[in-house]
Amino acid sequence: MNRKNFLSSIVPFSAALTSGNEKDNVEPGFPASIPPYLKTGDIIGITCPAGHITIDDIQPAIVKLKEWGFNVTIGDTVGKIDFTFGGTDEERVNDFQQMLDNKSIKAILCARGGYGMVRIVDRMNFKKFASHPKWIIGFSDITVMHSHLDRNYGIPSLHSKMCNSFPDDWSKADPIQKETIESICRCLMGERMRYAFTVNPRNTAGIGRGILVGGNLKTLESLAGSQSDIITKNKILFVEDTGEYLYSIDRMFWNLKRSGKLSALQGLIIGGFKIKKDDEGEEFGKTLEEIVLEKVDKFKYPVCFDFPVGHQKNNFALKCGIGHTLSVHSNECTLTEIR
Amino acid sequence: MIKIPPYLKKGDTIGLTCPAGYMAGEKAATCIETLQQWGFEVMVGKTLGSNSVNYFSGTDEERINELQAMLDDDGINAILCARGGYGVGRIIDLLDFTKFKKKPKWIIGYSDITILHAHIYSRYKIASLHSPMAAAFNEGEYKNEFIRSLRQAILGKKGNYKCAPHLLNRQGVSIGELVGGNLSILAHLVGTPSDVGTKNKLLFIEDIGELIYSTDRMLYQLKRSGKFNNLAGLIIGGFTGVKDTERPFGKSIEEVINDIIKEYEYPVCFNFPVSHEKENYALKIGGKYQLSINRKIVKLSEK
Repeated sequence: MNRKNFLSSIVPFSAALTSGNEKDNVEPGFPASIPPYLKTGDIIGITCPAGHITIDDIQPAIVKLKEWGFNVTIGDTVGKIDFTFGGTDEERVNDFQQMLDNKSIKAILCARGGYGMVRIVDRMNFKKFASHPKWIIGFSDITVMHSHLDRNYGIPSLHSKMCNSFPDDWSKADPIQKETIESICRCLMGERMRYAFTVNPRNTAGIGRGILVGGNLKTLESLAGSQSDIITKNKILFVEDTGEYLYSIDRMFWNLKRSGKLSALQGLIIGGFKIKKDDEGEEFGKTLEEIVLEKVDKFKYPVCFDFPVGHQKNNFALKCGIGHTLSVHSNECTLTEIR
Repeated sequence: MIKIPPYLKKGDTIGLTCPAGYMAGEKAATCIETLQQWGFEVMVGKTLGSNSVNYFSGTDEERINELQAMLDDDGINAILCARGGYGVGRIIDLLDFTKFKKKPKWIIGYSDITILHAHIYSRYKIASLHSPMAAAFNEGEYKNEFIRSLRQAILGKKGNYKCAPHLLNRQGVSIGELVGGNLSILAHLVGTPSDVGTKNKLLFIEDIGELIYSTDRMLYQLKRSGKFNNLAGLIIGGFTGVKDTERPFGKSIEEVINDIIKEYEYPVCFNFPVSHEKENYALKIGGKYQLSINRKIVKLSEK
C-alpha cells in the first residue's frame, strides 16, 4: 500500500495520539510499514546502485552474512564497471528493480556507495516493494534511498556499513569494527536497538522523541527540491559527512536552516565529519560545533555531537524511518528505538 | 514586471564592498582607478582590505552593516561586490531590503554573489548585474571587452553578445528573462527563500573547480526539482578547472550536461562567455534577452 492511502486510514488513530497538527507525520514508533525482520535462512541480495566493486571485494561480507545464517544472492552489477559506476544506469536500475520485486529476497544490501543512486531512483518502480517492503541497507550515496523511501512511502530502511567495510580477516579486526558490523545483523534480526555514546561538552541537553531520518549531509542537500527531499518535521535528524571544507559544511547547514529543515526537529544528531583542511590563508575560523550551534541555538531540541555514525570505523547501524528517543544529558547520551 | 534600477551617469557613485571572502586592498586598485576614469566616484567600504585574520572580509556583522549601509545610502548609485568566495549565504536573511525595494540600485558581481542576484530577483523582482568583479581588472585586462561590457551595462546600453557555435548546441530562437549564475550556488539555494523559479526563463549556468560527478549530481538536483522543465532556453557558460575522480567519470562536462537535458526541446548553447575566467560578459539578471542559435553563430541580445 502506498503511504498516502495508508495515512488516510490511520489519521484518526494518529491524531488521537498527537497533540499538534502533525498530519504529515506518523506518530513516532508507528511508521507506515516496517519491513519484516529477517530470520535464519533468509536471502539477502547484494547490488551496486552507485559505485563499482569487484566480486573479490564483497567476499568478506558474504562470508559474514552466511555465518549469521543468511543466504546470499549476488546481483549482476557486482563486478560490472561503467567508469566509476557499477554498470550503466540501465544495468543498475534493472538489478535493483529485480531485487525489489523478487519476493524471495528479504533484504537488499548495497555493496558500496560512491555516486549514482540519484541517477536511477526515478526510474525504479516501488509498487511491489511498497506492498511487500524489505530492508534496504547502506549509507553515504544510499542516503538518497533512505530519504526517498521515508518521504514517499514511510518505509523504514537501514543506514549502515556496506560490503566494502567488512574486514578481510575478521580475527584481526578492531573490536569497534566487529561491533559496528554486528549491529547490522542485530538490526536485521529485529533487536530493539539502544546506543550509548560519548558526551561532548558542546551538546545541548534534552530529550526528543521522533522518527529517525538522515544520512550524508551533502547527499541530503543535493536532494532539496526533489521528489526525494527529506522531511524533518517532528523527527530526529542525523547527519554525517566526509572530505568537505568547513565553509562547505557551513553552506550545507545554511541550506537546511533556510529551507526550514532545522526548525521543527525533535532532536539533531551530528555524526562523524571528516573535515578537509582549510587552504592556507583561507582559514574559516569556526569549528564544526560552532557552525552547527549558531544555526540551531534558538531551538529547544537536544543536539549532540560525536555520534558513532559516518565514514569511519565507528559507524553503527541505524533504523531510518523508525521512532527513537534521543536523550542528551551531561553524563550520558543515548539513542533508543521506541517499541 | 521586473524593476530595472536606474542606469548610471557620469559623476554617480559606486560602492565597493566585500560581502564574502577577504580581498587585499591593492588587488582592487586597478578596478577603482578604472571606475574613476569612467567618470564615477568610488566609495570604498572597510571590508575591502580589512584587518580580518580569517577567510572572510570581516565578521558577519561587519559585512552585513556595510552592505546594508550601501543598500540604504541614497548617495550610492550602484554596489560592486569586489569579490565572491563564500559568505553571502550567511548574511542574506539578515539584510533589510525595505529601502532598496523602493529605490533599487544595481548590485554587481558573480560567483557567491549569485545568492544576491537570485534573492532580489525571486523576492523583489528587481534586476541586477552578473559581471566581472575587481580582480578581473588586473593584469592589464581593464580594457578587455568583458570589462567594457560591464561599463556598457551600467550606462544602460543594451548587451549584444556573440559566440562561436558548439557541436552540442541545439538550434532555435527564444525570448525570456535571464536568470542564473554559479551552478553550485543555484543548487545550494534550492528549497530556500532565495530559490529562483525558471519557468519560461533563459537560464545560464557556470562553475569552477568542481568534480565531474559532483556537477552531474547538481544537475540532477536541478532537473529533479523541475528547474529544466519549462525553460525558454539554456545557456551553458564556462566550466573551468574541472576535476575528475581517480577512476574517471567517463564523460566530459558537456556530455554530462547534454545527457541530462537532451529530452527537452528548447535551444541550448555551450561555452558561452560567462565564467570564472576572463570570458565573462555582463548579464542582467531579470533582463529580457533573445537567444538565437544557428549552425554558424550564437547571439544573446538584450531586448
